[in-house]
Amino acid sequence: MVKARRLATKRGGDLRITFEGETITAFEGETLASALLAAGVAAFSLTRTGEPRLPFCNMGTCFDCAVRVDDRELVRACLTDVREGMQVRRQEVK
Amino acid sequence: MTRGYDTIVIGGGLLGCATAWMIARDGGRVLLVERDQINQHASGSNAGSLHFQLEYRMIERGVEAARKAAEAMPLHLQAAQLWSDLPGLCGQDIEVKQTGGLMIAENAQQVELLERKTEIERSWGLDNRMIDRAEIDRIAPYLSDRVVAAALCPTEGKADARTAGPALARAALQAGAEIKTRTEVTGLVRQGGRWHVSVATAESAQRAIAESVVIAAGVWTTRMGQMMGAHLPTIPLALMMTVTQRVPKLIPHLVQHAGGRLSLKQALDGNILIGGGWPARLIRHRDGEPNFDAKPELLTTSLSGNADMAIRVLPDLSRIPAIRSWVGTTTVTPDQLPLVGPVPGQPGAFVATGGSAFTLGPSFAQALAALIECRLPETDLQAFDPARYGRQ
Amino acid sequence: MTQDLAIVGAGPAGMAAALAVAEAGFSVAVVDEQARAGGQIFRRPPEALGERHGSYRPYPWARELIERFEDHPGIETHFRSTAFGVLRDRDGLASTALELAVSTPTGGRKLTSRRLLLATGAYDMPVAFPGWTLPGVMTAGAVQSLLKSQKLLAGQRVVVAGSHPIQLILAAQLLDAGAEISEIAFARDLPGLVEMAQSLPAIPGHVSIFAEGMRALAKILRHRVPISRRTVVSEVVRTDNTLELRLSQVDSDWKKTGADHRVEADVLALGYGFTPSTELARQVGCDLSWNSAGGGWTVSHDAGFQSSAPDVFVAGEPTGVAGAERAWAEGHMAGLTIAASLGAAIQPATLARARRRLAGAARFAGVMHTMFEPRRAALAELSRQEETVICRCEEIRNGTIEDALQNNPFMQSASAVKLECRSGMGPCQGRYCEETVAARIAAIHETSIEASGYFNAHLPVKPVPLQDYRDIGDE
Ligand SMILES: Cc1cc2nc3c(=O)[nH]c(=O)nc-3n(C[C@H](O)[C@H](O)[C@H](O)COP(=O)(O)OP(=O)(O)OC[C@H]3O[C@@H](n4cnc5c(N)ncnc54)[C@H](O)[C@@H]3O)c2cc1C
Ligand SMILES: Cc1cc2nc3c(=O)[nH]c(=O)nc-3n(C[C@H](O)[C@H](O)[C@H](O)COP(=O)(O)OP(=O)(O)OC[C@H]3O[C@@H](n4cnc5c(N)ncnc54)[C@H](O)[C@@H]3O)c2cc1C
Ligand code: FES
Repeated sequence: MVKARRLATKRGGDLRITFEGETITAFEGETLASALLAAGVAAFSLTRTGEPRLPFCNMGTCFDCAVRVDDRELVRACLTDVREGMQVRRQEVK
Repeated sequence: MTRGYDTIVIGGGLLGCATAWMIARDGGRVLLVERDQINQHASGSNAGSLHFQLEYRMIERGVEAARKAAEAMPLHLQAAQLWSDLPGLCGQDIEVKQTGGLMIAENAQQVELLERKTEIERSWGLDNRMIDRAEIDRIAPYLSDRVVAAALCPTEGKADARTAGPALARAALQAGAEIKTRTEVTGLVRQGGRWHVSVATAESAQRAIAESVVIAAGVWTTRMGQMMGAHLPTIPLALMMTVTQRVPKLIPHLVQHAGGRLSLKQALDGNILIGGGWPARLIRHRDGEPNFDAKPELLTTSLSGNADMAIRVLPDLSRIPAIRSWVGTTTVTPDQLPLVGPVPGQPGAFVATGGSAFTLGPSFAQALAALIECRLPETDLQAFDPARYGRQ
Repeated sequence: MTQDLAIVGAGPAGMAAALAVAEAGFSVAVVDEQARAGGQIFRRPPEALGERHGSYRPYPWARELIERFEDHPGIETHFRSTAFGVLRDRDGLASTALELAVSTPTGGRKLTSRRLLLATGAYDMPVAFPGWTLPGVMTAGAVQSLLKSQKLLAGQRVVVAGSHPIQLILAAQLLDAGAEISEIAFARDLPGLVEMAQSLPAIPGHVSIFAEGMRALAKILRHRVPISRRTVVSEVVRTDNTLELRLSQVDSDWKKTGADHRVEADVLALGYGFTPSTELARQVGCDLSWNSAGGGWTVSHDAGFQSSAPDVFVAGEPTGVAGAERAWAEGHMAGLTIAASLGAAIQPATLARARRRLAGAARFAGVMHTMFEPRRAALAELSRQEETVICRCEEIRNGTIEDALQNNPFMQSASAVKLECRSGMGPCQGRYCEETVAARIAAIHETSIEASGYFNAHLPVKPVPLQDYRDIGDE
């Protein structure tokens, strides 16, 4: 688990999303990548051999942060803003 | 420096590699010359479908056109056998899966066309039969409810176009052939009963001599013909293909459509390959001649049209990411039958191209090898004789 | 509706060009994957944090540029939207319009325009070595943008490694955020006095950038952060939640000398420089040229920033990585040329000013280049082990690529290796393995990285749902 930490600053309103069914609190204005990193998610995606991947570039070029959002495949978490009620799943076999 | 060979093969696509391998295997001294890298053109960019049924482009103009196209059936039947034997014969890993092909119909008119087509094919000896929706539910439940019937050809399938060409090139090397890449044939002259072939690399120009030459140059065939003063008419087609992200095993068949351009299948790796003959824009020189060195351009209408066809028959595809769409250029001939045999008026020169020549590559190669080794080809090549177009 | 100009990228280059063209009275549409204008360098915090602006130090012009861009009524913007390909409409041989295929949050759409500007920026240069795919290993850009735009510290104990001067600024930002920096590893020596002196003539106009660097260095020294010179990360392993890094000594050619030491961290931030984002340019058929100091393959262009593809212009990092000032200046010049090509009369004085600004920025960039150009071939040697992953997406390992090169002596190009091994065929489209593959071919055939060529780029340059293809057919 990578221990990402939110710095003390004014943030948007809180909201809830789920990752693999578990509820996570996030804040308006956050990207899905930030919210999942702050929640300590161990793998955003799994490679074909099952290796875990977390965001590598945070700018939309590497696809290691790919997740499934409400049944859409290969959604880059680093370019997706959190929304109340978002259902997020790990991207298996990237 | 001048070197002597039995045969010089021009072009390192699937056909050139397969031909070089077969001749070298039979003891011939072979040089294969490729101006780019092995397998970088049609052979490395095609859909890898092993087509034995008549394709949509052969039936879209009606039954008579289908009957004509069916004259190539003996080459297809031979290819069905050759592909399944190929990995063992050449001793290389080539992914070949012949798990059946479906040509699907959505309405009564398409069903009727399929029935007529199946009859023609069966008369040539192809194992192909109509199946109804109940059977589709059993063997292809992934297809949308719109599909009402299909023609099932059990020997159809796919091979890996990415790796088949290089595998045959390795087999050729191991059998003793020489391969020169980044080397272009720039001149072909027959002198003293032998072919003098000028070859050029970025650094140097040389000459090689051979008893026979094989034109395996894909869309460059007509131009190679002109180089030796022969008439080898081909029509270039620029086509588009799309591959999706990997998804769990879903589609075991090669799927085609009787009412439109679509081919659909799943690669061993899980990616879904979508194509079916959607055009790209061939780039032309100012004088109207096609410029094969420029990449053809994708068309918006083809991207959306092909996606639309695919999503119609497999609705879940709509949310699957497309990873890549690419273009390639291939040849057909004026009468839609392939061009296979001696180059008219040019002793010791042979050619093959036209149609689904990935599927047919091994059949073409076998025929060319036989002609070069002065054996009788297994298939009657008369309908494909390049001389049918005359000398112009 | 046909726009006069479509722009991909709302960084300094894209914004400057948009303004130049919109101010001449033409319609402009801008597409960017980020949530707001600013590009990679500014990575502004989201609107929900309540501020219009982030911190733009040391670029005093940024604030005004962003405001003018955002407030201009002639500029239409599409954020959180990915330009995934460029198509062309033709009438016979003549190109009549460009069609930008865009994936928006609500589906696919087609933006038709008379001109196109690719201002797609750059991404952190990938360097493969054992363990570079492990969770916790990130690019410097990732760590920095999480901090700047999301106010998120990726991990408490950080090792900052690479060779780019921005690493020092990142380290200082991390210290400000309360991180512990276990070590800063620099592949080269820090610039010596001679180099500093030589670079002085290029500094006027860029004093604030140097001042920023000096401030960062002072902070690092104050915190007594260990700095290792001539040191690269050569391996990372992960035990429990900790990264264990092997830091290896290198000589002046960045070749390993054999000595190494280990250090632990939660996050490794890698920054060897930047690679231009040229995928759209490749896909639309622009010629590229090799420019190692500029980041690798760059888009060729004329003095007005027109590429070899008709009606397609390019500005900013894709022409060669040269920093934000230069990106601004190129975007401005490209905008003036585009406006002129659309029929605007551009004052000679305006052009002259634009040229002067370009030249000034170029001098500065040139100095940075010579001081910080990465030793590509040496870095690529860090991944020669059998099991090291070269292609992150398809998990193609070095052994597979070296075997393919041994067994297929007729393969000499990056594209041929891609086709044979699948390296570069995954969702990232080969951005993260192209150079390693090319360097491997060069090492084995004893040629150059340049001679191995580059991967062709295809539409979609970033994967999009098949439904988006279907959508772009709708008028
Ligand atoms: C998008 C697309 C999809 C397709 N799908 C299928 C399919 O599913 N099934 C199927 O059966 N067929 C398919 N085809 C057709 C098939 O790909 C081709 O018919 C087949 O690959 C032709 O192989 P080839 O070796 O003859 O030609 P190519 O693979 O094109 O090889 C010709 C080679 O000759 C070289 N050459 C040319 N001139 C010279 C010279 N002067 N000197 C040296 N070298 C030279 C070229 O560089 C090239 O490498 C498809 C084609 C395309 C474009
Ligand atoms: C993390 C990071 C930090 C940097 N820090 C500095 C620094 O401190 N000083 C410095 O001088 N330089 C820095 N650079 C270099 C930086 O790239 C340039 O200075 C500057 O941002 C270049 O401006 P630009 O307009 O060319 O590109 P960018 O600012 O990178 O803008 C390009 C934009 O294009 C968008 N884009 C790209 N492709 C697509 C697509 N297909 N569809 C939609 N949108 C797309 C991107 O989202 C991006 O916003 C940094 C680069 C990075 C990556
Ligand atoms: S972290 Fe690389 S694409 Fe999101």
